[in-house]
Amino acid sequence: MATSNLDFPFCHDVGKYERITKIGQGTFGEVFKARDRKTGRLVALKKVIMENEKEGFPITALREIKILQLLKHENVVDLIEICRTKPTQFNRSKGSIYLVFEFCAHDLAGLLSNANVKFTLGEIKKTMLQLLEGLFYIHRNKILHRDMKAANVLITKNGVLKLADFGLARAFSFTKSGQANRYTNRVVTLWYRPPELLLGDRDYGPPIDLWGAGCIMTEMWTRSPIMQGHTEQQQLTLISQLCGSIAPQVWPGVEKYDLFQKMDLPKGQKRKVKERLKAYVRDQYALDLIDKLLTLDPKHRIDSDEALNHDFFWTEPLPCDLMNMLSQHKTSMFEYLAPPRKPNHAQGSSAQAHARHGPHGAVAHQQQQPTDPSYDRIF
Amino acid sequence: MKPSQNMPCWYYEKADLKKTPSFCDGISSETEGRYRREGPRFIFDMGTRLGLHHDTIATAIVFFHRFYMFHTFKKFPRYVTATCCLFLAGKVEETPKKCKDLIKVARSLLNEGQFAQFGDDPKEEVLTFEKVLLQTIKFDLTVEHPYKYMLQYAKALKGISFYTQFQYNLSFGERSKIEKLVQMAWTFINDSLCTSLCLQWEPQIVAVAVMYLAGRLCKFEPQDWAYNRGRWWEQFIDDISMDLLEDICHQVLDQYSQQKGNKGTVSSKVKRERPKTPGDVDKSAEPQAKSSRSEIHKPTTKVRVVY
Repeated sequence: MATSNLDFPFCHDVGKYERITKIGQGTFGEVFKARDRKTGRLVALKKVIMENEKEGFPITALREIKILQLLKHENVVDLIEICRTKPTQFNRSKGSIYLVFEFCAHDLAGLLSNANVKFTLGEIKKTMLQLLEGLFYIHRNKILHRDMKAANVLITKNGVLKLADFGLARAFSFTKSGQANRYTNRVVTLWYRPPELLLGDRDYGPPIDLWGAGCIMTEMWTRSPIMQGHTEQQQLTLISQLCGSIAPQVWPGVEKYDLFQKMDLPKGQKRKVKERLKAYVRDQYALDLIDKLLTLDPKHRIDSDEALNHDFFWTEPLPCDLMNMLSQHKTSMFEYLAPPRKPNHAQGSSAQAHARHGPHGAVAHQQQQPTDPSYDRIF
Repeated sequence: MKPSQNMPCWYYEKADLKKTPSFCDGISSETEGRYRREGPRFIFDMGTRLGLHHDTIATAIVFFHRFYMFHTFKKFPRYVTATCCLFLAGKVEETPKKCKDLIKVARSLLNEGQFAQFGDDPKEEVLTFEKVLLQTIKFDLTVEHPYKYMLQYAKALKGISFYTQFQYNLSFGERSKIEKLVQMAWTFINDSLCTSLCLQWEPQIVAVAVMYLAGRLCKFEPQDWAYNRGRWWEQFIDDISMDLLEDICHQVLDQYSQQKGNKGTVSSKVKRERPKTPGDVDKSAEPQAKSSRSEIHKPTTKVRVVY
């Protein structure tokens, strides 16, 4: 069937945008910065990979589109439209589909990796405030992000924070009948993965994203990810060394996870979150909020609503707009574009703005992480 | 889904529904009406064979109706489109089925002539259609159906019925009447999907209309004992006129009269099974295997609401 000459009143040709530069690359495909030829508006184009798809349009992309259409919030990246390319002889008669997002000048990982970018305490507060507002909104809409990390937190040149990359996100429900959900636990990039997922939980909920928020918040001061495990076992060890031993005394019911017995969990570790972080984080309220976000037991971990009411946001210095600080930096900062901090590091950071890993991306990513143990390790 | 500024509007005026691409392409309104019944029935049959959830089936049918507001049946043969709609709806509703399995079921349900629509490489044909389908429906993937609203309203009415039982000593028969009404309304929702109603009215309104119709047919009118003297649906939706409800009821019922003389359609080839009802309805509320539709199909049963 010849489909090349069909007219689609609802689906524009991607040619309406002029490509400027590539800003992301990974297993998912490419992300481009582009400009609307008519309006001049800047956008990010994310191509939907169709190669090797035996089952047509990928279900993961359908999920992401559905979720993005549902979520409309200041602190969630805005999907503007979906575009196509006309099938031609050059792409073997297969047109491609692009997701068109509002363009954000930076991602948080890119900003944090640039030593010239300095956040004041008020600016850190504003960043976290927006991040938690975004999480509050998506959780209220029954969506789990499932891939919280600094590279998936975008910031516009005006200092507005946007949660991005819903490629691993899914809807969740609180089961009424007491029947447990069976979600995959192969989600969240290893370094940001909460202990319940590492122990194989399949009935998890919003607290998984708040653990990630805790990791990101700490990173605002440490400037690189705080727990960089190479394996799930090592990640659990790093968590135990910071947050104390994983045991039924602090986490009732943890013994029910199969992996609780199978994994080698350090015993007798004291919780040292505040003690070990105070060298970086001098604000007492900040330390207290981080401590509550990095709570082992997901049932006792602070939720986004409580976190937004935390004194951290309501004491001097109050949250302060990021626009002035960002206006001093003329170039975009993305993790993908950041100069490697050490040789071989570039391949390790496969995470980009507007980008996603496939459903197994989080797992694949883990193998690509740097193996040099001296790499920017905080703990 | 929340209304969004860049989402298309999928509701049409009756005049627009007459001037469809197929009509402009020389297909008569009657023929198009028949195609718009055959496609959905075929989706029902395939979905039931594959054990798909009623929401998946209904989403596929809504995609089907929307698709033909932009394309003609001449260019896009209905059984391929129908198969493609179910393939996509399976993924969208998190109940995916393999393309090759769908084609297998399609082949078993269709005769050779009908299956010829799929061409030499049926799977490739369905996958090609999928791209056209996605772009035509503007990737608007979240679709709601009347089922959940109907159950929600029935549950609320049941609550009132209990309350009035104690107040006015009504018999417990009232309760089973609501269950019968739910059964019948469920079937009418299935039937409404074989009309263009999903292109005219929101699922909430269709839900009220089919309940109203079912209430009339089983001589059970919740408004008889509604304590605030209003119409029972006013607690769910404001401003539905009687004219509108009647118009919707007629559209649901009209297809039965058009049915006669249309034997030998796809649906007659398979044993019709009921789509699954959701778990949150009482067992007794499930439409029985031989419920209203097959009865209504009998030419002797003159189903017409007397107003």
